[in-house]
Amino acid sequence: MSSGETLPAAQAGTVESMDCLVTIAASSGGRRIEISGSGAARFRSAMENKIIQVLDSLGGPGDLSVTVQDNGALDIVLGARVEAAYLRFREAMLR
Amino acid sequence: MRRTMLYLPGNNPNMLLRGHLFGSDGLIFDLEDAVSRSEKDSSRILVREVLRHSGFDGREVTVRINGLDTEYWRDDLAAVVPCRIHGIRVPKVDTPQTIRDLDDALSALESRASVPIGATKVFCLLETALGVWNAYDIATASPRVTAIIPGGEDLAADLRTSRSKEGTELEWIRRMMIVAARAAGVDALDTVFPSVTDEEGLRREALFTKQLGFDGKSVIHPAQIPIIHEIYDPTEAEVEKARKIVAAAREAAARGLGAVSVDGRMVDLPVVRRAEFTLERAGAMTEGGAR
Repeated sequence: MSSGETLPAAQAGTVESMDCLVTIAASSGGRRIEISGSGAARFRSAMENKIIQVLDSLGGPGDLSVTVQDNGALDIVLGARVEAAYLRFREAMLR
Repeated sequence: MRRTMLYLPGNNPNMLLRGHLFGSDGLIFDLEDAVSRSEKDSSRILVREVLRHSGFDGREVTVRINGLDTEYWRDDLAAVVPCRIHGIRVPKVDTPQTIRDLDDALSALESRASVPIGATKVFCLLETALGVWNAYDIATASPRVTAIIPGGEDLAADLRTSRSKEGTELEWIRRMMIVAARAAGVDALDTVFPSVTDEEGLRREALFTKQLGFDGKSVIHPAQIPIIHEIYDPTEAEVEKARKIVAAAREAAARGLGAVSVDGRMVDLPVVRRAEFTLERAGAMTEGGAR
């Protein structure tokens, strides 16, 4: 992609209690995962594993940027939000 | 036992995960009206994941899918049927053909997901005049149908009226719903009471629908649950009377008698059945509160 082009990005989730807002965008140089919010300090490693597991199960490419704004989302909610954001991202890429 | 079935918005993890703690007999994960068009996809995934990984204390779990006149319903079914839910709540059922189409789609999904064919029950929302008129035919269109439910706002709009505090516009419809449900051998469940702060109005409506013969009511707020349970649960006096009737009927049967008198009133088979139903409800109450 040329430097002047807008990179596709997609979001899913909310910042409400027990939820998280996941943003997925194209990136260069491998997967980048950024986590902020209530679970970031204690559960970062488990959350990263969950994100990678979901993306791998969907055949997600290596070059992706994943940003999570967490407000106490359980593992299953994080997984659901990553899946929804990735499927939206993939659709945006096809347009 | 379906005294109360609580609607939970399909895009709200907090409610989906904690809704069962409020003590309703059943849960309705809502993919229809509670979810905006832009969130249909993410809610479907979220509901699927919550269904896969949670137990809900053994409550009856259903999902309200989007109507068969939308582009969403097949994806909704594909997401939730493999999770082995108790049933599907289907909006705007107008004709028996809708149920036959749904039956076919459910059977195909159940077969693919190794769910026993027919395990997913169907709760029909009759939200148009045509749907209400066809209530009996809809209720008998498939053995999957386990309940019929009159609509609220949508039905009022289709009748070219609006919902009133007194429920005048739904009165005849509720009576008809009971007749159709009993004739078909399915449950009659009432629509929601929309005003969550009007406790007196809710009591009045629940007393009326219980007297008509309804099995329970859908609820949109946890605060409505104890009120409806209190009204739909048998009173101590009713339980005591039912015990006497059942005991007398058993004694009469043992002595080869057809009918018996309890407190000066002849007791025949329908009265005994009613008493057994009362005891069944009372038994469920004492076993675990909500169930």
